[in-house]
Amino acid sequence: MLKYTIRRILAIVPMLFLISVVVFFLALAMPGDALSGEIDPNNSDPEYIEMMREKLGYNDPIHVQYYRWITDFIQGDFGTSVKYKMPVEDLIAQRLPNTIFLGIISLLFTYLFAFAMGMYAGKKPYTKIDHAIGGFNYLMLAIPIYIAGVFAIYLFSFKLGWFPFSGSVDIALTEGTAEWWLSRLYHVILPALVLGAMGTASYTQFLRNDIIDNSQKDYVRTARAKGTPESRIYNQHILRNSVIPLITFLGFDIVTIVNGALITETIFTYPGLGQLFLTSMQTNDYPTLMTLALMFSFLVLIGNLIADLLYGIVDPRIRVE
Amino acid sequence: MKGNKWYWLLSTVLLLSLFLAACSGGDDEQTKGEGEETSEEGTDENTGEDNPTQGGTITYAIDSEPEGILNIHYYGTATDADVLGFMVESLIDYDENLEPQPNLASWETEDNKTYTFTFEEGVKWHDGDELTVNDWVFALETIAHPDYEGPRYANVQTIEGAEAFNKGEAESISGLEVVDDYTINVTFDEARVNNLVNVWSYPMHEEYWKDVPVKDMLEHEKTRMKPMGTGPFKIGNVVPGESYEYIANEDYWKGAPNLDKVIVKVIDNKAVTGALQNGEVDMVPVHPTMGKDVEAMENVDLVTYPGLSYYYVGFKFGKFDNEKKEIVEKNEKYADLKLRQAMYHAINREEWVEAFFGGYGTPVNAPVPSSHWIAADNDDLKNHYEYDPEKAKALLDEAGYEDTDGDGFREDPKGEKFVVNFAHYSSTNPTFEARAKALTQYWNEIGLQTELQMMESSLYYDSIEKDKKGIEVFFGGWSTGADPDPSALWKSDQLWNLPRWENEKSDQLLEDALNVEVVGTDKEKRKAIYTEWQQLTNEELPMLYIAELEEIMGINQRVGGVEYDVSGANNANEWYIKE
Repeated sequence: MLKYTIRRILAIVPMLFLISVVVFFLALAMPGDALSGEIDPNNSDPEYIEMMREKLGYNDPIHVQYYRWITDFIQGDFGTSVKYKMPVEDLIAQRLPNTIFLGIISLLFTYLFAFAMGMYAGKKPYTKIDHAIGGFNYLMLAIPIYIAGVFAIYLFSFKLGWFPFSGSVDIALTEGTAEWWLSRLYHVILPALVLGAMGTASYTQFLRNDIIDNSQKDYVRTARAKGTPESRIYNQHILRNSVIPLITFLGFDIVTIVNGALITETIFTYPGLGQLFLTSMQTNDYPTLMTLALMFSFLVLIGNLIADLLYGIVDPRIRVE
Repeated sequence: MKGNKWYWLLSTVLLLSLFLAACSGGDDEQTKGEGEETSEEGTDENTGEDNPTQGGTITYAIDSEPEGILNIHYYGTATDADVLGFMVESLIDYDENLEPQPNLASWETEDNKTYTFTFEEGVKWHDGDELTVNDWVFALETIAHPDYEGPRYANVQTIEGAEAFNKGEAESISGLEVVDDYTINVTFDEARVNNLVNVWSYPMHEEYWKDVPVKDMLEHEKTRMKPMGTGPFKIGNVVPGESYEYIANEDYWKGAPNLDKVIVKVIDNKAVTGALQNGEVDMVPVHPTMGKDVEAMENVDLVTYPGLSYYYVGFKFGKFDNEKKEIVEKNEKYADLKLRQAMYHAINREEWVEAFFGGYGTPVNAPVPSSHWIAADNDDLKNHYEYDPEKAKALLDEAGYEDTDGDGFREDPKGEKFVVNFAHYSSTNPTFEARAKALTQYWNEIGLQTELQMMESSLYYDSIEKDKKGIEVFFGGWSTGADPDPSALWKSDQLWNLPRWENEKSDQLLEDALNVEVVGTDKEKRKAIYTEWQQLTNEELPMLYIAELEEIMGINQRVGGVEYDVSGANNANEWYIKE
């Protein structure tokens, strides 16, 4: 197991290097730079922009720029955001809590919906309700999230007035009080619901199919023969076995939590990493963009690593040569 | 629109009376002295509808994310300026013709070189300290400091001795001479007509900032979370990138605000109409394409005021060398004036503005927004370039652009295929491509084959600035500021003269208008020169001026006392909530 683990971890290193190269060159290949949008005679003048370009090193040869970036990066200096004019690590630290909060709540919603629907559908396959659940899941999978987001705002915020349509907290409250936390929860529910509901399809169908498979197995027949109640068979015997394949998703779940939701956060003006990533792309804010891209890639690798290791623990055949 | 005229008249009268009432009310309050609570008094004295209620909170929304630099000396975007507008004030203000007016300070000058500024006495910073001229000196020396990282040095550079200070050769800026706490003499390096509007006019609280080294200011907490000003509201909580809480400054020198709080909130532009309709935001800038929807709302007033921007179609006449600061290559394709005139007459500008900007705009015939004091009267401009496709065709015939091969499109005078390559920037807004298409159709109709290229916007401006191949005819917009001088966009040695238009007369006129020896301090003389310049650009057509746009605000009817003119909103301390 140890050898297996070490091998998996070592495999990440070259991957990270390659990703850093790709991220860097893709970012630089974007047309224009962070300053090309700033032509505004009221606000700045060409000399200032030229001076900033020089200062930011945009005029240096590309390999010099890469070397400078990667050496700083490894030493933990992620640079200064060109748009926000503050260190990228501070910027990320400012927004990470929002993103994690949204991620966890939305995952809770996903699990809740997926388990409820998947268990029901697996128990009564090929019934009308099973088809309805399947249909619903594929519909959610098919609807682009920006449509769902706008629709949810229209319905739940503007028509029904149940939830706020933007922001992460009511600004008038003092940070840290119970009211403040409640307000945060209140603000996160709608985006989390949209995000959570959109992600149920794969969980539900995986769970459903696995339950159907398992229900044909010998141990289920034995349990039935013993006279164990149906609900007990499904909720304990089968479910325990059917949850195992969902480990595949666990790695991705970690990524989901930190990655943020680009579109959802933007539509709900929920200041998290997803929104930050999107703005940094739009404004060619290289330091922020590259740090986030690398961070997300790293997390995907870690997520996969965790999934692999968990597989190794659950299923010994995998860690054998 | 018929019904609206009556409505506008009525609302103008109402607003005017409100304004007058607010003014006289303000005087009352100032004489009352500081100790008193302002909340009750106002309601007792005034009767009738225009009595500003005290208290309440309004939500002011902005539809793009600010950078969060809450320090006027460092900000770079209009959005940040919007957020800061509630709490910082300038020494000088601008009236509805964009002429400077005294605010925190008044000024005198004899020769446009040395100015004497006299500060208002008794103005307090939000922490209770008094504003003195030293705070302004501190601001100027911060910006001129070698470690300063913001974009405002150009506004200080013109003060005598600022360069030496910037290079570290002097201990202080020699052009600043403090007479006493409320009086300062400022000497500029030379006499200019626009020294006053150009100089940096915001003070910076010295006592509050003096322990922070200049190089740390931009990233400092005081810039990000705890800004300091003298304005009608002071900062409360800040949730970066999301919302900003402003609390009434009861000691405000022009009188305590009527409102208790203003919440500035960032919202997604897709939510603007819904949030207005629902009353979740009280004030928000509205994009022209959504204007009609907002106008239809019963609980919201749509307020328009003249904008300072104009849209144009530019031509590339050459290439610019940014090292030499001159136009080095000529492009003859669009050199024929008749061709440009024909393209101008082909465009139905009224129809186009109606279709893509909801009618919230007016065609202009010269590159100066009409509300600016230097704007030439439309009657002084020789050509008005009405929509006239027949005239356009006749002009093209005259110039020799005729269809010789019978494909329905005209060839150039040499008989070679002629294609107008038109570029426009793209975004997620679907109307951009439609409006660009509409322009190409106008040109197609007079027989000029036009091809449209939509480009991602940062690439677009980059390509235009660098005169990249393939950019020939391009769509763009400029916004102008309080300083009327168009030199930065029009002189032949300027990078942002994007058409690369070179005209000696134009350069000369622009120089004359700034030359004290020619115009002295006479505004009329200066305006006459700018009028002549506009007549020149109106005839020479280095670009086709399409339209100036109005600025539009959606304001919930429960909010009163808000007025807009070309310089922006009135002071927020006059805003209130109707009963």
